Amino acid sequence: MLWKLLKQHISVAQLTGFFIANLCGMVIVMLGVQFYNDVSPVFNEEDSFIKKDYVVVTKKVSTLGSISGKNSAFSSYEVDNIKSQPFAVSVGKFQPARFKVSAGLSFAGMSISTAMFLESVPDNFVDVKADEWKYVEGQGEIPIIIPRNYLNLYNFGFARSRNLPQLSEGMIGMVSLNLYISGNGMRDMKKGRIVGFSNRLNTILVPEDFMNAANSKYGDSNEMEPSRVIIEVDNPADERIAHFFNDNGYETEDNKLDAGKITWFLKIAVGIVMAIGLVISALSFYILLLSIYLLLQKNTDKLENLILMGYSTSRVALPYQILTVGINFAVLLIAIMALVIIRSLYSDVLAEIITGFEGNGIIMSCTVGVALFIFVSAYNIIAIRRKINAIL
Amino acid sequence: MPSIFSSRDDINSEIWRKNVTFQKGKSYLIEAASGTGKSSLISFIYGYRKDYEGQICFDSRDVRTFSGNEWTSVRQNSIGMMFQELRLFPELTAGENVILKNNLTAYREEKQIKEWFRMLDIDDKWSEPIGRMSFGQQQRVAFVRMLCQPSDFLLMDEPVSHLDDINGGIMASIMENEIKERGVGVIVTSIGRRLLMNYSEMIKL
Repeated sequence: MLWKLLKQHISVAQLTGFFIANLCGMVIVMLGVQFYNDVSPVFNEEDSFIKKDYVVVTKKVSTLGSISGKNSAFSSYEVDNIKSQPFAVSVGKFQPARFKVSAGLSFAGMSISTAMFLESVPDNFVDVKADEWKYVEGQGEIPIIIPRNYLNLYNFGFARSRNLPQLSEGMIGMVSLNLYISGNGMRDMKKGRIVGFSNRLNTILVPEDFMNAANSKYGDSNEMEPSRVIIEVDNPADERIAHFFNDNGYETEDNKLDAGKITWFLKIAVGIVMAIGLVISALSFYILLLSIYLLLQKNTDKLENLILMGYSTSRVALPYQILTVGINFAVLLIAIMALVIIRSLYSDVLAEIITGFEGNGIIMSCTVGVALFIFVSAYNIIAIRRKINAIL
Repeated sequence: MPSIFSSRDDINSEIWRKNVTFQKGKSYLIEAASGTGKSSLISFIYGYRKDYEGQICFDSRDVRTFSGNEWTSVRQNSIGMMFQELRLFPELTAGENVILKNNLTAYREEKQIKEWFRMLDIDDKWSEPIGRMSFGQQQRVAFVRMLCQPSDFLLMDEPVSHLDDINGGIMASIMENEIKERGVGVIVTSIGRRLLMNYSEMIKL
């Protein structure tokens, strides 16, 4: 009966206007969060063997430098300088082999042999399981990581033209390589086993312990300065990195920094979209507030009479509070439904781009939606209560 | 005393600038000419206007110190009020107007309410919207509504201005019954027509 009285003068048009506006705002904000969550893994594709946020740095090789014999290696001073940069979490040197290696592969009655080049980086940059990625003196098999490109080169180029069988990654892992190592007047044969393929490291990696041992045994005595440095960075999108590299004439080997930049632009774009959504939400919230104020104004007499009859302000405010919270809640539910529908439209496309696309679910965006709902509702409740308290 | 009178020194009143005590179980008639602040007095006592000088106390507690919640409680449990302008809801029927109050206090049986409607000769108006009833009929509805709560005092601001003597008499007898049974105090104002009761005290404002 209280409601029969208080619903007088409710403007369906105004509430519908609010409903639609708030729905738009809510969907845009939630979709922004959701899209960012779903899409950002595209740019953060990880190499399972290498820590996520690292960059490999080389010096530029210039024609002039080649002719004049200018060194493209990093001096220890330069490495220390990189270490001291605020964006660098840790820095590792690539250690090249100072001995000759050639690798042979016996497979299905055929054998291939090629000259090879080995490098190592500190083990903490390699994310292969610790028991696989180690070397102790006298160990039979040496774990190796090769670039995935090499396998592709073999499978799609070499093997096809020579009528050789194509190899899968799994098969490669089962085959052992013969490593012929020579230097210092010695010649040895070791077994090597490929434990992983890297998309992003263009080198053949062996454990650092093996490299140290082999270098001291077969290598010449003079230490070589590294020509490549691996840096773990806290944020690849940090513009100081690009500045630093530019200033010093360094180059990065892969597109990690580009991905960082794209992620950064994605963040900006999503941020703008979300800001627009928030503005729409704020405006719609304003409409609701004005509408409720108008309603209260029109019903002032009734509210005053009810209060004089002994109805408490909270009891009189309750129907309006339930009304607004109900509308807000309906908006939230519909926004979540809309989100699920829209997401299903683009997730097919994403699933093709990202292998194993699961997304983080819609928990994050729903949390944002619920937070928005709570904020708007709480503010409404307080505003209505204040307005009614002001009547008498 | 209303603030607006404070500059006047020609006030000749038995309430303004005096100490007056109203007691439970007694009935008071406040007689006044128009413009002497009768409705103001009622609104001061009922707590919806505060533009007065002096002090109003319920059991020695100054009502200026009452919070909103305390006033709500007073209006639910201590003071029944029949406004001069009635303050009924024209959108609701006569029955709903009374039930709306009784739902709040859960004080009376619906049977009792209907009995009063019958006594006051408005039982056929139960389902009639208030907006379509005469002022005299509305006064009777407002009267019944006032009774639907526990009370120490009943305030009635010109309750019979539009009533005939027969209905006024019925109202008076119901009131006297209430005084006798519940021991309520009654304060009635009038500028001419008065509710015919045996008043304990008549005061000229």
